[in-house]
Amino acid sequence: MLYLGPTLFGFILGFVLGSRIKSSPDSKIHFPISSYLVVLIAALFMAWQIGPFPYYTDTPLATGFVAAIIGILAGKVIFDR
Amino acid sequence: MSTILKIFVFPAAMLIMCLGILTILGGHITPGGGFQGGAMIAGAFIFCAVVYGLKENPFHFSHDFMAAMESVGALAYVGLGLAGLFFSGFFLYNLGVDLYGLVPAAIQNLFDYPDPIHAGIIPYLNIFVGLKVLVGLSAVVIAFMQVKDHMDSDETAADENNNENTE
Repeated sequence: MLYLGPTLFGFILGFVLGSRIKSSPDSKIHFPISSYLVVLIAALFMAWQIGPFPYYTDTPLATGFVAAIIGILAGKVIFDR
Repeated sequence: MSTILKIFVFPAAMLIMCLGILTILGGHITPGGGFQGGAMIAGAFIFCAVVYGLKENPFHFSHDFMAAMESVGALAYVGLGLAGLFFSGFFLYNLGVDLYGLVPAAIQNLFDYPDPIHAGIIPYLNIFVGLKVLVGLSAVVIAFMQVKDHMDSDETAADENNNENTE
């Protein structure tokens, strides 16, 4: 069973942080979409390794962690600056 | 900073921020909480600020953003405290898990955090403390880096003036 608390608030906190991502045109380093995809895969693997934190009884993934990375990516996509 | 660091740090910072958020969300039943999680998120931001510098930092914490987050965190914390004072007579009374039966059931349900622990307002307090701490620690580092940039630019201008005078 998926608990709403960490999922909802993890997404909101991640969204707030993701909305502040701003790619600088002066920078020599650019992060294409593929790099964000790699981060998402790495985050899913980390969430699997963390396990059902903090309640230990719900899904096999750390739902707060997954919601946070989805929130960061959603904030980046919606407020793409 | 080296190119290897610049490629590695931004993705790593995103993952560290997720760990900080997870620490905030589990603060009411596991070690951690608002301060620790907020410090982890601020650490990820500082990691980026040190490697990329303030101008090229992918996480752009503007003055308005920091002021808004700081204000939201402080006001919401005080608001939860005042809600406890209003409904039970005690500042920061845990309305969601009303042990003494002082609060109406509708208000208890309103403040109940949607999880199986029913920790009441504690997770909300963690979240708002986390917002305050992440902004506070980030602001300190931003201020130090801006002062350093300002001093460096002053020294450069003074050197140029000296060179012009000697010529």
